[in-house]
Amino acid sequence: MPNRVSIRLDGEYIRATRGQTILEAARANGKFIPSLCAMKGLHPVGACRLCVVEVAGVGRLLPACTTAVQDGMSVTTASEKLRHYRRMILELLFAERNHVCAVCVSNGHCELQALAKRLGVTSVRYPYAFPRLEADLTHPRYVLDHNRCILCTRCVRVCSDVEGAYVWDIGARGVQSRLVCELNVPWGQSENCTSCGKCVQACPTGALAEKGFAAEEMTKRLEPIARLASSRGGRI
Amino acid sequence: MTPHRITDLAGFNTAREAGLAKLLPPRPRIAVGMGTCGSGNGAESVYHAFSDAIAGRGLGFALSRVGCFGCCAEEPLVNVWLPGKPLVILRRVQASDVPAILDDLAAGRVPEEIALAQIEEWDHITAHIKYGNGYPGIPSWDEVPFFKGQRKIVLRNCGLISPDDIEEYLAVGGYQGLYKVLMDGNPDAAIEQIKAAKLRGRGGAGYQTGIKWEMMRKARAERKFVICNADEGDPGAYMNRNEIESDPHALLEGMIIGGYVMGAEEGIIYVRAEYPLAVHRLQLAIEQARDYGILGDNVLGRGFRFHLQLVEGAGAFVCGEETALIRSLEGRAGRPTPRPPYPAESGLSGYPTTINNVETWYNVAPILVKGPAWFTETGSPKSPGTKVFSLVGKVQATGLVEMPLGTPLKTFIYDVGGGGIHGRNIKAVQTGGPSGGCIPQDMFDTPVDYETLAQIGSIMGSGGMVVMDEDNCMVDVARYFIEFTQSESCGKCVPCRVGLDKALYYLNKFTRGEATDRDLALLDELSRMVRDTSLCGLGQSAPNPVLTTMRHFMHEFEDHIRARRCRAGVCEELALSPCENSCPLHMNIPRYLQLLKEDRLEDAFLSVAIDNPLPASTGRVCQHPCENRCRRATRDESVNMREVHRYITDMAFELPGYAKLLERLAACRLPPTGKKIAVVGGGPTGLACAFYCALLGHEATIYDANPKAGGMLRYALPEYRLPKKVLDRELDIVWSVGVRFVGPVKVPGELSLNDLDAQYDAVFLAIGTWKESWVYLPGTELSGVRPALPFLEGVAKGETPALGSRVVVIGGGNAAIDSARTALRLGARVTIIYRRERKDMPAIPEETEAAEAEGAQIMFLAAPHRIVGNPDGGVQAIEVVKTRLGEYDASGRRRPVPTDEILRVECDSVILAVGETVDQDFAKASGLKITPKGLIEVNRYTLETSRPKFYAGGDLITGASNVSNAMGYGKKAARFMDEWLMGERRWERIFPVWEYDQTAPPRASASRRHVVTEIAPAERAQTFAEATRGLTAVEAMEEACRCLRCDVRNGHH
Repeated sequence: MPNRVSIRLDGEYIRATRGQTILEAARANGKFIPSLCAMKGLHPVGACRLCVVEVAGVGRLLPACTTAVQDGMSVTTASEKLRHYRRMILELLFAERNHVCAVCVSNGHCELQALAKRLGVTSVRYPYAFPRLEADLTHPRYVLDHNRCILCTRCVRVCSDVEGAYVWDIGARGVQSRLVCELNVPWGQSENCTSCGKCVQACPTGALAEKGFAAEEMTKRLEPIARLASSRGGRI
Repeated sequence: MTPHRITDLAGFNTAREAGLAKLLPPRPRIAVGMGTCGSGNGAESVYHAFSDAIAGRGLGFALSRVGCFGCCAEEPLVNVWLPGKPLVILRRVQASDVPAILDDLAAGRVPEEIALAQIEEWDHITAHIKYGNGYPGIPSWDEVPFFKGQRKIVLRNCGLISPDDIEEYLAVGGYQGLYKVLMDGNPDAAIEQIKAAKLRGRGGAGYQTGIKWEMMRKARAERKFVICNADEGDPGAYMNRNEIESDPHALLEGMIIGGYVMGAEEGIIYVRAEYPLAVHRLQLAIEQARDYGILGDNVLGRGFRFHLQLVEGAGAFVCGEETALIRSLEGRAGRPTPRPPYPAESGLSGYPTTINNVETWYNVAPILVKGPAWFTETGSPKSPGTKVFSLVGKVQATGLVEMPLGTPLKTFIYDVGGGGIHGRNIKAVQTGGPSGGCIPQDMFDTPVDYETLAQIGSIMGSGGMVVMDEDNCMVDVARYFIEFTQSESCGKCVPCRVGLDKALYYLNKFTRGEATDRDLALLDELSRMVRDTSLCGLGQSAPNPVLTTMRHFMHEFEDHIRARRCRAGVCEELALSPCENSCPLHMNIPRYLQLLKEDRLEDAFLSVAIDNPLPASTGRVCQHPCENRCRRATRDESVNMREVHRYITDMAFELPGYAKLLERLAACRLPPTGKKIAVVGGGPTGLACAFYCALLGHEATIYDANPKAGGMLRYALPEYRLPKKVLDRELDIVWSVGVRFVGPVKVPGELSLNDLDAQYDAVFLAIGTWKESWVYLPGTELSGVRPALPFLEGVAKGETPALGSRVVVIGGGNAAIDSARTALRLGARVTIIYRRERKDMPAIPEETEAAEAEGAQIMFLAAPHRIVGNPDGGVQAIEVVKTRLGEYDASGRRRPVPTDEILRVECDSVILAVGETVDQDFAKASGLKITPKGLIEVNRYTLETSRPKFYAGGDLITGASNVSNAMGYGKKAARFMDEWLMGERRWERIFPVWEYDQTAPPRASASRRHVVTEIAPAERAQTFAEATRGLTAVEAMEEACRCLRCDVRNGHH
């Protein structure tokens, strides 16, 4: 069986390796398919549904992150319908929790924000849920802010697949789903957490962050400067 | 029961014989139906009553527990059998019936009066049991409407054998299929048979079971699993529960066969923890199967190893999805994973796995015993076999129904289900549970199979079938199902998790009457997105209820947006009370009842009159839809609201201060606007419209072709129903607010629509339906044949037409009954001919009964065939064809089909009362857009016609209807004409506010419903004087006190 296959992506022929997913093949060829939950190195889960594509001959939409390439497959990645659905998915994510970019640690470095810009989501038509959510500040170095979480489970997978610590999981169900630490304990009380920080790096938004970078934490301390200046005989 | 391990055919046969001896013992046998359904209806105490009494009397009868025979509406069911006689199923047996039943059995009789059906012989598919013959007085089971057309393959043993006794299962051919497959030793051939039978997955998706099995057989692995999905979770679906509770061994047999042919040695039954009885019986069955050597290391001595394990699901709906079910079995959270890989490649713990629904497993043994050709005889070519449905909701007979696939929906609903409850019209059926769709009544010809249901946006699902009638709000139905799926969404993928949550938000907005057109569009778009992009079947199918209700019941969504009305009266925020909601005039009924109760007759009168300017007429002749919805009816009978407002009005007329009262009413007028409105037609529609136009401050002028106002009330309704002096008196209410009447004047004719356009700011057309429909039969040209309306009009104007002594009236509506009673009063003998049944008559039932009491004969199921003339050109007789009831038509009534039987009725006159229509000459001359039915086309919400400034209402836009409907349109037109003329909503300003008690009665009053006193038939039929006397003061007060005050919520409204 040849290991190389050829597929059509938006009309263009590209080469792919058998066993690759459509998303992997597209990325390897420099093609962009939006996604949030997929991350190189982690097993795909098909949760965010942003990467859904049309495959000729298949009646329903398929997620590019979990669908393997097949020789001769013809894939459409950006029809008007797909663009429309993707914008709706982003709108739903924004409406679900409290994504306030202006005061977010990840402002400017957020995959959700970047995708919204790229796909042209300028407003949200659905009612914001404005849930009252907590931030877990119990870990000495890191913060978990549920307000920014999109439940992509990249943290869950990086912790289990790469670090092997199995700290994270999803608790409850439906719109009540929450990222939970071990058996729903504060992060600071985790027994398995190695404080490796992989989850923080994997998080596409500001839900998991290093302490000290939040806008709120950026308080200026002018007093020492004044003291220093006066000790050097400067004018007060 | 002493278990003996079966290792060969002889052992198999011994166990079989032992079972047969229990099923057909040489003494009377009693078996109580004890599924969860039977036990819930008292079967436990019935069983104990039998057991105590049999022991106490030393009768020596056999007594056992069986499962359920499926007829839930008649529970608890008890089977009784006397040797050599048919098995008789008794219905609704209570513990108190037990002594009498035992007396009968001891005397060699069965209690025929409580018998539901008898079974002479039964086809268990894998065996045939002959019970005996006799009992001509009891219908055979397949003659009972509920069972007629059913084909019991899956339910072959349910309710007939003990679920707790493996020997009884063996007796009816159980485990024969397994034995055969093991003896043949050719798994590939067995799979070929399943493939040839085209058995499809009964869990809902309908995937070919044989193909799935073949994939699994080919998979090479050290371990393989077969799993039964018994995580039945659809609201209203309980077929799997009943199958397991009644016949657990059939499931085991299917799974063991599956394990053998697919090469799996381990089986798991994943069953809902909420089904304790099913779990218990399965455990027992598994133990027994082990004891008999049917499960274990050496199945039936054939060297095949198979172990079966029971796992209770924790109650997540999504675990019915196979990948989520597998995760749950692995001890993880029940969240689906993407397919591929399919379970056949990588399932439980990564091993090849086959998951089938309970019912699929039940079909396996019969196919292997009888062969695929036998199986494909039943059902449709693409979907052979049967499917069990749970038929629930608004039908008379509910229960589990096993029908061949491809059976049309109407068979389920009308033939098996017996149609609507209390004569209500069925509106839709919801198939496939929360993931299914709603199918409207006009599509009930649809055959029930996988493809056809999918085509119309629904699914087969697990077989839930929820019937809905006019009391169900389809918007609320969609909301209910989305609420369910939203709360059961696992939360993994964004569309299902967040999309359904937002969809629920919009649907809640609809049911509160706060939704807009934009919300409708957003909901539609969102539903499609969730359907197309969700990860698993739950999200992909969850929007079906929304999409199908939007497709088939868009008008209900629009009603909730534009009119802020819920016609079914389900959405509480949109209605004051059920009576108010169903009243076309939306009268505040609880208010006038309460005001009367507080002895404030004047206020009560004003409350009535401001809501309904013709309260004396409607108090006598309204069809009273309010009473059909009255919640008091669930306790005893509805409140007689119509007669109370007749009483209030009649009393007010007599008050010395009546003129002052009218002044108080006129004081509600808004200041003059200077706008002029013309109303064409002085019937109830026009009068109502003009009244409200005047109250809103406009100058309202009515033009009518007759010299006096009242329309049909004056010229069609006979004097004995509505005395003209009452009408004249109440018309003062309309005149008191300043309405002007001009007549007789013909429009168009003496005054054209263009004239009106030039002289008025707005025009309302309400000329009604004065054209009598005509049936074309031989003889209608004869001189004694006349249409009903001109006949009634002539009598109302004082003419006495020469009818002769014998009159035949054709029709079943109010005009037919009015004609008949009028003819009686003119001294004729009257026969009414109606082509359908009594319950199908559109006339008010009280009127029909009154006509019969006065001596009218009614021939039902008879259609006119020919009118025979006499030599003078008059009528000699009429010939009628007897009809019989055929199939159900689009109106949910059975279509009359002519027979060969022709009867002749001698008569001198024939009155045709087969319906009235709009005068087509007027419709065409008006230049307005007309509908295909010849009615004036209007905007349903504002009543605007195609011509600016012109509005229309009443019978002109609906076809012949009734007084209150007609007035409702007049009222509505006034409101929207005002809004259009004034550019703002001023409607609420004309209604005064009353302070009155806002507490509900702590308990329902003891008094029963009061009805009007009828004058003795013999006396009233002689004269045109009013045929009824209204309620007395005490009766009216007691009726007012019977109101439960549905309008009061949390202490106040």
